[in-house]
Amino acid sequence: MGSSHHLLVFLMFLHYAVGFTYNCVKILPDSSSSIVVEVGKNFTATCHLLEGCAYTSDDIEWRLGNLSIAKQSYHRINETAVSVTINISSDMSDWLKCTAPKESLSYKPRSIYGIFLRAGYPPLKPKNLSCIAVQEDKDISPNLNCSWDPGSRNPLIDTTYTVYANVLGTVLTHKADCKQHLARFCIVNLETFPIHMVLKVWVEVKNALGSERSELQNDSSYFAKPNPPLNVQVLTEDKFPTSLVVTWKHPIDRTILKLSYAIRYRKVTSNVWIEVPESFTRGYIESFRLQSLEPYTQYVVQMRCIGESNSSYWSNWSPSVTERTTEAKPASAPDLWRIIRPTSNSRNVTLIWKAPVKANGKIRFYNLSINQNNEKFESHNITADNLSQMYSMELPAGKMASIEITAYNSAGESPKATLSIPRSDKELPGVKDMSWSVRDEKLQVKWTAVLPLPHPLKLSEYLLEWVKIPQSVHQKELPAGWQRVPKNVTVTTLNAGLEKFKRYNISVYPIYKYQPGHVWHFQPGRPVTRPAYVQQGPPKEGPTVTVTKSKKNSAELTWEETPLDSHQGFIIHYTIFYAIGNTKQWKSETVGPNVHSYVLTDLASETDYVVYVMASTEAGSVKGTDCTFKTMKYGDGEVEVIVVVVCLSFLFLTVFIIMICLRKREVIKKLLWPQVPDPSDSSIAHWSPDFPIKADLPKEDVSVVEVDVFDGKSLCEEDKGVLPLKKDKYLSEEHSSGIGGSSCMSSPRHSVSDSDEGDSGQTTSSTVQYSTVLGSGYKGQTPSHQPPAFARSESTQPLLDCEEHPDHLNESQSRSSYFRRGRELEPGVLAPECDGGSLTFCPVQEEEPSPVAEEPPASALCYMPQKSGYRPQ
Amino acid sequence: MNCHVMNMVCLSQRSQAKFRIILPILILIAVELVHPTMSCKNEKCSQLLHRSLKLTRLMSKRSADLLETYKASQGDSADLICDMQMDNVPVSTISGQTMSERILSVYTHLKEFLPHMKTVMEQQKDLNPPINPVVEGLHSMITHVHHIAQRVNCILQILQPNIPIPEPAERSTGIPPAQNIFQQKAYGCIVLSRLQELLSQAVQEQKSLKGKMCKQRTKNGSL
Repeated sequence: MGSSHHLLVFLMFLHYAVGFTYNCVKILPDSSSSIVVEVGKNFTATCHLLEGCAYTSDDIEWRLGNLSIAKQSYHRINETAVSVTINISSDMSDWLKCTAPKESLSYKPRSIYGIFLRAGYPPLKPKNLSCIAVQEDKDISPNLNCSWDPGSRNPLIDTTYTVYANVLGTVLTHKADCKQHLARFCIVNLETFPIHMVLKVWVEVKNALGSERSELQNDSSYFAKPNPPLNVQVLTEDKFPTSLVVTWKHPIDRTILKLSYAIRYRKVTSNVWIEVPESFTRGYIESFRLQSLEPYTQYVVQMRCIGESNSSYWSNWSPSVTERTTEAKPASAPDLWRIIRPTSNSRNVTLIWKAPVKANGKIRFYNLSINQNNEKFESHNITADNLSQMYSMELPAGKMASIEITAYNSAGESPKATLSIPRSDKELPGVKDMSWSVRDEKLQVKWTAVLPLPHPLKLSEYLLEWVKIPQSVHQKELPAGWQRVPKNVTVTTLNAGLEKFKRYNISVYPIYKYQPGHVWHFQPGRPVTRPAYVQQGPPKEGPTVTVTKSKKNSAELTWEETPLDSHQGFIIHYTIFYAIGNTKQWKSETVGPNVHSYVLTDLASETDYVVYVMASTEAGSVKGTDCTFKTMKYGDGEVEVIVVVVCLSFLFLTVFIIMICLRKREVIKKLLWPQVPDPSDSSIAHWSPDFPIKADLPKEDVSVVEVDVFDGKSLCEEDKGVLPLKKDKYLSEEHSSGIGGSSCMSSPRHSVSDSDEGDSGQTTSSTVQYSTVLGSGYKGQTPSHQPPAFARSESTQPLLDCEEHPDHLNESQSRSSYFRRGRELEPGVLAPECDGGSLTFCPVQEEEPSPVAEEPPASALCYMPQKSGYRPQ
Repeated sequence: MNCHVMNMVCLSQRSQAKFRIILPILILIAVELVHPTMSCKNEKCSQLLHRSLKLTRLMSKRSADLLETYKASQGDSADLICDMQMDNVPVSTISGQTMSERILSVYTHLKEFLPHMKTVMEQQKDLNPPINPVVEGLHSMITHVHHIAQRVNCILQILQPNIPIPEPAERSTGIPPAQNIFQQKAYGCIVLSRLQELLSQAVQEQKSLKGKMCKQRTKNGSL
C-alpha cells in the first residue's frame, strides 16, 4: 500500500516536469548524432515553430554555444520559420541552438532546440603510396606493408584508412583497416604472395565529408624486396695484385624473382664508395672480378640485388667484406734526404728516408749504395723498420758522395732514389729569402725563387725541412721532417704535425738536377733556415738570477738563459723586478732578449733587496725565482783606506817602541837578565888543575859544565846553542857521537859502528842508547894523553845494574843531573847514561887509564852488565 | 519565338552529346559484366605468356617438392599409398589437337584439380596439426594454381578471343565420398602426383606457344 503511494507521487512529479519542458521549436536539418559540417563552407539551419506555439518568428533567437548569432545572419522564411546561415570554421564544433524566450510574467517555459555541429575537413588523397613485401626464407612474405603520406591537414573528424589488395583476375580482395589516427602505414595480409601476377593495391580514406583513394597496380614482383646476396666473399689472386674476385649466392630462386646485382667497394681508408656499373653485373651471375684496384690495399665490398630490369625493390646492402689485394712491386722511389753536420775536419752525414708513397706492399728492406768521388764506397741492406730508417757516415769535406737507395717488398724492387752531396766548397746557391707565418695553426712558408743556373743544372723542386730544437733524445726518431714542393711554388703550408710551443728550424732547399749519364742526379742547394713556432706560449720557467757583485749603491745581476725547450716561444725581453725587503714596492728594468746580466744602480746601502727576472714571449711572461741580496755598508776603497791608516799607525808605534828599547837597553837587560857569575872566574877552576890534559881541553867545555852545575839545569834545556858546539868538537876529535849527540842529534848508526858492528840489524826505535866515555885505549891499548872519548851502545838490553840497584840509579840521577836531556829520554832509560856519563865525564875519573874497558867490574859499572848479560861475546 | 526555337535546338544538342558519352560507358560496363574477373588487358601478350610460363614452371617445381614433403609426412607406407588407383581423381592427360584445345584442356584440368586440392588440405588438417608444411604448401599451391588458371584463361582469350571459355562444372569429377585415413592419404598422394604431372605438361604446352601466339597477335595488330 505504501509503495504504490510513493510510485503515484513519483509519476505525478514526472508528468509535471515533462509538462514544463514542453518544446515548441525544432531545427532542420536534424540528426540523432552530430551533424558534420565542412570547414569553410556555409551551413544553413532553419528553426520552425511548431503548431500551437505562442511564439512568432520574431521571437526566435539563434545561438552557437553560448554566443548569440548576429541578426544579420537570420533569414525569416515565414511566420513560423527562421533560418540562419553561418560560415563554418574549425573551432565551431558546438551546439547550434534555436530559442524562443520566455514571456514576461508568463508561466510558459522557455522553448529551446539544438543540434550539435562537428566541423571538419574532407580527407586528403594519400600520396606516395608504396607497398613492400620482404623476402622470408626462400619466398616472399604475404604481408604487404603499405605506407603513404596522409597529408598534414587534420580532418578534425573521424577518418578511416583502409588498404585493399587484389590480384588482378581474381575475385578475392584482401583488406586491412588501419586503426591509427592519420594512419601512415598498414599491413595487409595476402595469405599467399602472388608470384608473376598483377597486383592492385589501393588505400581508401573516408570520413563523413567524403573519401579519397590512391592505388598502385603492377606486377607482383615490384612489391617484393629480396634479401641481400648470400655468402658474399672476396677472394684474392696472387698473380693479380690489382683485382679481387667477388662471389655470392642468389638469395631467392630465379623462378620467383630473377635478380641482377650491384657491387660497390671502397678503400678502408676512404668513405667514398665506387659502384660497379650495373651493365657489368646485369646477368644472373654469381661472381665478378673487381679490376684496376691498387695493390696491397684493403678494400671493403658490399652487394645488393634487385629484380631483373629493376622489377623489384633493391635489397639492403650485404654486410661489408674486407680484403686486401696482393703485393706488387713498389711503384715509386723512396724519399731520400740527408742531414749534414760539419765536424772539425769532416762532415757527419745522416741519411734519412721515407718509404715509397706507392709501396704496393710491405717494404722488407732497403738497399743503400754510397759512392764517394764516383767510386763505390759502401753498400748496405737495411731492414725496413720505421724506427731506424737512417744511416750515418763520415764524409770528408773535400769529397763528394752520391747516394742511391732502393726499396724492396715481396714482389720486387722500387725505382731508385738518388741524392748527391757535393764537396763543402761546391755548394749550389740557395733561395734568397725566406719567411714564415702561421695560418690556421699551420706554418706557411714563403721564399724567393732561385735564379736559373747555367746548363746542365736545372731546378727540380724545393724541399722544406723542419727540425725540432732542441732535438729529441730518442735516437730512433727521425731527426728531421721534410716536404717536397714543385719548382713553380714559392708559398706552401707545412703538412707536418708540428707541436705547439716547440721551436723548429725551418729550412728551404732548392733541389737541382742534372743528368751526367742516363740517370738524373739530384743535389740540394744551400739552405736558408729560420726558427719558427707554430704557436707560442708563455715560457715554462723564468730565469734564475744571481747577484755576482753587490756594492754600496749597486748590484750586478746575472742570469742563465733557461733551456730552449722551456722558452715555448721567442723571448722578446727580460724584465728585472727589484724591491727593498718586504716593501713590495717593485721597480723594474727591461732589457733585451740577448742580455743576461745587468747592474742595478741607485740602491740604498746596507739594505736587503729582493730581485727576480721575468722572461716574456709574445704569448705571456713568467717570473723566475726570487733572489735576496744586501748592499754593502762601505763603498769601494773605503775599507782599504781604513786598513792602510791602521797599519801605518801600528808601524809607527812599533818603530817608536823599538827606538825606546834601543835607548834603554841596559835598563831592560838588567831587568830581564840579572847578572850571572862567570864560572871561569870561579875559584873551583883553579882548585882542580891536576889533570894533565886539562890545559889542552877547551876552556869552553869546562865552563859549560860549570854553568850547568851552577844553574842546576840540564844541558839541552839551558843552552842549545852551546851543545852543538861541544858535539862538533867531540866528533872531530874522537870520531864518535857524544852523549849529547846521541840523544838529540847524532846518528845512532854512527854510534853502533863505533861500539859493536854486529848490532846493525836492530832498529833505532827500539834501542836504548848507551854512551860512555872511553877513558882508556881500545883493547888494552893505553892512550897517552888522549882526551876522553865517548862510546855509545844501541843495545836494548835493560840496564841490569840499574834494575838491580835502583838506589844506584837514583843516586846516579841525582849526581849526574847536569847531563839529563829532558826531551829525549825516559827517566828509566836515562839512568844508565847518567851512570856511565857521570863516570866518564867526571874529570877526576878521566884521569884513570883505560882499564875501565878491560876490567869491567872495577871501572865500568854500567857497561859490564851489557857485555855479560845482553850480548855475550 | 526565336528564343524558344533556339532553346529547343540547344536542348536537343545537349541530350545527344550526353548520349554519346553515356553509351560507350554502358557498353564498357556490359562487357565487364560478362567477364567480371578476367582482366587480361593489362599485360602484353609476350609478357603474359612469359609470366604464365614462369609461374607454371615454379609451381611445377614446388608441386614436386610438396609431393616429397607429403610423402615424408605420411609415414613408412608412403610409396605404397601413392601406387594405389583411384577413379575419381582427375587425370593429368592433356587432350586436344589444336593449340587452343590443348590450352583449354590445361585450363579445364587446373580448374578440376582445385577442389581436390582443397579436399586434401582439409583432410591433412584433420590428420596432422592444422599448421604443418603440407597444409601450408597446399594452401599456397591452391592460390598459385588458381593464378595459373587465370593466366591460362587470358592466354585462351588471346588464342580464341571470340569463343567463350567453358568453365568446368562445379564438382564435375566428383569429390570422393567418405574415406578412411589410409584412403585419405592415398587420395592426397594421387592428387599431388597428378597435379605435378599436369603442371609439367602445362609448362610444355605453354613453351610450345612461344614464338607462335604473340607473333600472330602482333601481325594482327591487336597487341
